[in-house]
Amino acid sequence: MIPELGLILLIISTVSSLLLAIIPLVALYTKNHYLFSYVKTLTGLMTLTITASILCLLISFITDDFSVAYVANHSSTQLALLYKVAAVWGSHEGSMLFWVVAIAIWGCIIVFSSKYRDRLFIGRLIAILASVIAGFNLFMLFTSNPFARLLPNFPIEGRDLNPILQDIGLIFHPPLLFLGYVGLTVTFAAAIAALLGGKLTRTHASYLRPWVLLAWVFLTGGNAFGSWWAYNELGWGGWWFWDPVENASFIPWLVATALLHSVVLSHRRDSFKVTTLLLCLLAFSLSLLGTFLVRSGIVQSVHAFASDPTRGMSILFLLGVFVCGALTLFALKANQIKSELNFTLVSRDSVILLGNIVLVVAAISVLLGTFYPLLFELLDIGTLSVGAPYFNSIFIPLTFMAVLLMGAAPLISWKREKFSALRPLIVLFIIALAIAETLSMLTGSGFNVWLFLGATSATWLLLCLAYLLFRLRHQGIEGLARKSAMIIAHLGVAISIIGATSVSNFEQQELLRMGPAQGKVVAGYTFVYEDTVNVDEKSYTAIQANIRVTDTNDNFIGYITPQRQTFKTNAMEVSKAGIMRNIFRDLYVSSGLQLSDTEYLIRISYKPLACWIWLGGLLMMLGGTIAALTGLYRLRVQKAAASNSNPIATRIEGLA
Amino acid sequence: MRTLILMILLSLNPSAMAANPMTGGITYSQDQIRDIGFEISYELRCPMSINQNLFDSQAPIANELKAQIFLMLEQGESKEAIIEFLVQRYGEKIKYQPSFSAATAMLWFGPLFLLLIIIAVAAMLIREQHKHQRTNGNSYE
Repeated sequence: MIPELGLILLIISTVSSLLLAIIPLVALYTKNHYLFSYVKTLTGLMTLTITASILCLLISFITDDFSVAYVANHSSTQLALLYKVAAVWGSHEGSMLFWVVAIAIWGCIIVFSSKYRDRLFIGRLIAILASVIAGFNLFMLFTSNPFARLLPNFPIEGRDLNPILQDIGLIFHPPLLFLGYVGLTVTFAAAIAALLGGKLTRTHASYLRPWVLLAWVFLTGGNAFGSWWAYNELGWGGWWFWDPVENASFIPWLVATALLHSVVLSHRRDSFKVTTLLLCLLAFSLSLLGTFLVRSGIVQSVHAFASDPTRGMSILFLLGVFVCGALTLFALKANQIKSELNFTLVSRDSVILLGNIVLVVAAISVLLGTFYPLLFELLDIGTLSVGAPYFNSIFIPLTFMAVLLMGAAPLISWKREKFSALRPLIVLFIIALAIAETLSMLTGSGFNVWLFLGATSATWLLLCLAYLLFRLRHQGIEGLARKSAMIIAHLGVAISIIGATSVSNFEQQELLRMGPAQGKVVAGYTFVYEDTVNVDEKSYTAIQANIRVTDTNDNFIGYITPQRQTFKTNAMEVSKAGIMRNIFRDLYVSSGLQLSDTEYLIRISYKPLACWIWLGGLLMMLGGTIAALTGLYRLRVQKAAASNSNPIATRIEGLA
Repeated sequence: MRTLILMILLSLNPSAMAANPMTGGITYSQDQIRDIGFEISYELRCPMSINQNLFDSQAPIANELKAQIFLMLEQGESKEAIIEFLVQRYGEKIKYQPSFSAATAMLWFGPLFLLLIIIAVAAMLIREQHKHQRTNGNSYE
């Protein structure tokens, strides 16, 4: 009963989203204000029904209704309640539903918020959002219905959620990433709305800015959390594999980063509007392309959990419709959009523009590397692999360029800067080079270009931020507060670069056979394998190695307990690393194959500053959140100011 | 058997080295063998498992190949020779870093090319717009 209700609600929301996709546009075209009054009602109806629909799926999960195929395949009676909830977005059908629900809710908030006073723009925006929702709803109804039944022979106990997914990561990583994609969908709709209207005013840019920032914050969180999860769960200690699925979420992040800086230019300087719009379209298209890549199973990946070739075609079709439509519109309308371009070569504007170009090129390069093997096979030239060594050698120099620009931008004034103002920057750069050079000399293993680039960029960024704070010292707390979001986010980038550079260059590791009473010294820490124990948990049994760790002075600092887990429901084996963390280093032990009665293949790794990688991600998210909230607050203040000055106009607008 | 060899080598047993005659002519220290061996196994793809490098993969074949790499290092082979040997056995796909050829030229030079093109186009558009704004400004005066 509940699943049928969910399906009916899904159908109702599809119908209302189809209506909502058409009515505002007809209303605008015929200048019919009466029709326009349906927008709020339809948005409300669409959002309520789709939200109720996902609640039906949630109820099916909680009540263990295994006659629903999706529930039967991704849950079991043994599964903890928290994971039953998370399993809603744990695979294809449910995650699509989650995505659509999030788009609807975000759109609904925008429509019902009185902050956004350009109702025509909002009307167009919600029409576009509704058409995206309609597209995905139809896709779900025809190819991946989450409420499909498995009658009459359904598994009584359920088939269980993929063991690898039974982790705290499933609760945070996918929703964050989906919310990021949803944010990009909203900015896409806003860009189309602006193109349809033939203009992107500063008011529109002021709406767009917090949305872009929020999308970026969610995407940053999704990527950082995903990387942290893989580091803990996949068992072999990498934090970034340049796997196609990772790239699929990283490419939109790079473009979103460019977009977020471009929209600042559009908002503050009324310039680069066409660039902003194009980046909105690009970010959304690339997130859809990523979805296609992951869900179609067209690429081989260690992270693919929901791939199925038959879905690929439908996603590709949606991708084609949205992207071709959007690009055609862009080609027709872009020349109507006029920007002010009054800046010289040496100005913050041009530095940010250059930085955005570097980010977009980085995104396209990652895309190229990801698709190249596929292209090769399609053209029948042969087979090849493109992996970490390639991506590092392209991506690190581009990051270096981006960071150089990133450090300089806040120190250069808008519009026009004297060449003499660049002098302190050159001094800072020389200091950064000197520090990096000293650092790579101290490590003594000869010149290493990756270490040098990483060290230079991190030092340069930190020096630039310090110099910025020094220059802000007279401006008081307000001047600092206005820049705080940017400073925190840029500091986050520096921290992540330090972490990544340190782990990639100074990691020390051993791969060896180990059994009880054997020991090994790695990076001054002594690891002694004490014993092997069997652990019996609710959903898995595990063979656990108890490894005692002492530091350089022979002080006992704790036990590391890596496990080989075997899941009860499907006998799948995974290895769970043991990690001892502090702010300066991670000690990482994972256990692999059993080599004899008592001995296992053990990997011991000392990873200096590993957690800085994710700490930096958190700082970036914090900076982005501050900036987004400031933007939303400003909109509210503007609204209050406007309604005080002209109460009648507001009332009329409210009625309309 | 290969796994056993791997294990012997991994425990860095000096007797294993004595047992293998030198053929490649390079003498590595034990630390170098470990570091270069890890480096090579990071750059090669496991032929069995889904998109994992030899180092990370736990498939039997990955362990055999790791053993092979360490064995060849013990015999004094260079890194390039070892990679070349494995490419001949398993094909180009085993390398995560595709070698440069006409077919991969776009892969290697594409990013640089793109960067230059976009910067050039952006500079041209901006210059044009500047000119446009300036002439408009003049006509008002």
